Amino acid sequence: MTQRHKVDGQPAFVLHAHPFRETSLIVEVFSRDYGRVALLARGARRPRSALRGLLLGFQPLELGWAGKGEVKTLIKAEWQGGQPLLTGKALFCGYYLNELLIHLLPREDAHERLFLIYAETLRHFSGVLQESDLRCFEKALLQELGYGLTLGHDAAGAALETGGDYAYEIERGPVRLSRRGSSGLSVSGKTLIDLARGDLGDPRSLAEAKQLMRSLIAHYTGGKELATRKIFMELQEL
Amino acid sequence: MSTPSSLESLVEALRCLPGVGPKSAQRMAYALMQHDRTGALRLADSLRGALAAIRHCGRCNTFTEIELCERCASPKRDASLLCVVETPVDMNMMEQTHAYSGLYYVLMGRVSPLDGVGSRELQLERLLARASDGIVEEVIIATNFTNEGEATAHYLSEMLKTRSVRVSRIARGVPVGGELEYVDSGTLAQAFRERRTFAE
Repeated sequence: MTQRHKVDGQPAFVLHAHPFRETSLIVEVFSRDYGRVALLARGARRPRSALRGLLLGFQPLELGWAGKGEVKTLIKAEWQGGQPLLTGKALFCGYYLNELLIHLLPREDAHERLFLIYAETLRHFSGVLQESDLRCFEKALLQELGYGLTLGHDAAGAALETGGDYAYEIERGPVRLSRRGSSGLSVSGKTLIDLARGDLGDPRSLAEAKQLMRSLIAHYTGGKELATRKIFMELQEL
Repeated sequence: MSTPSSLESLVEALRCLPGVGPKSAQRMAYALMQHDRTGALRLADSLRGALAAIRHCGRCNTFTEIELCERCASPKRDASLLCVVETPVDMNMMEQTHAYSGLYYVLMGRVSPLDGVGSRELQLERLLARASDGIVEEVIIATNFTNEGEATAHYLSEMLKTRSVRVSRIARGVPVGGELEYVDSGTLAQAFRERRTFAE
């Protein structure tokens, strides 16, 4: 960061926005070089504000801000474009990614690789929605945060076997089971290998990876119920 | 001298207003008590009156003082069309267009997954019951073109697709009288993606 704490032309995405005072917004953004930052967008809710309709989630932006405190002041925002707005189910999945980032990513902790994966995942979302994109994002997120999964070998250091059954123990890794289904978190060796390769074409691998990721994320979010998941489930029930 | 407790509780109560922080609340409370006690009385009375009288219309959910708002009760409106909007202000804007003569349903909010607002919070089962009354043929979703508005639209369309009603969404694009030179890139890009073929 420069001496004057001024940032310009920073690629970023809006994660969430809250109204602030009469006409302003507090915007939570995920930027490439500064990670998650809270910005005050002065006058962004005025009827003729240039920022109106610009500070939308899931759209690539270039932002400029200044300030020293926890909440910086947004100075400039430019629309980068190039991808359609998310609609339908993809929109809900986008919200889920944002909630994960808001809950798990500490403020002002740069994660350039994760930023690029996030941008790439959103680009995929605007095409055909693939559930495996969600799993790969979750995997990358945990890895970036230092909670990376052990997928190369089992907890004892032995190579994973496609036909083997494992219990995934958080912070230890996969533990070989003598028989299937004795643990709530049991996964097949194939699922772990597929997840490591980022190729979840097999429906069983996809389903098991989902369960595995869900319990890992529940662990790291402290068991907090994710609002986006709750809303999405309600939608499925309608 | 410490602040009297009733003044303190007034300051605290005023803070529930949008955009009012501790400082403004204090200023308002002192102004009411010191300079304008009749104004304060009027405010108290009208607040009490409004709270007692205003409720939601049984059909469109907007604010009204009677069981069924004037618009819903009017025989001139086309009851086969139902337009869903987020707020009463949006409904007024639609009315100003003079382009629509059907009925409305006001959600009084929008689906916002990150704030935990979904079908339960918006009581969408009321809209579902309203749209399935057998008279409504088309539901027009006129929520905002923000991500939350789109999420709401998706939610509603999923909810209504099993019912025998047609569901449509208002169009978006270049504004009327708009010159491409002055349209923002986001709008223009979306208008391009959602272009339509001329009817034969």
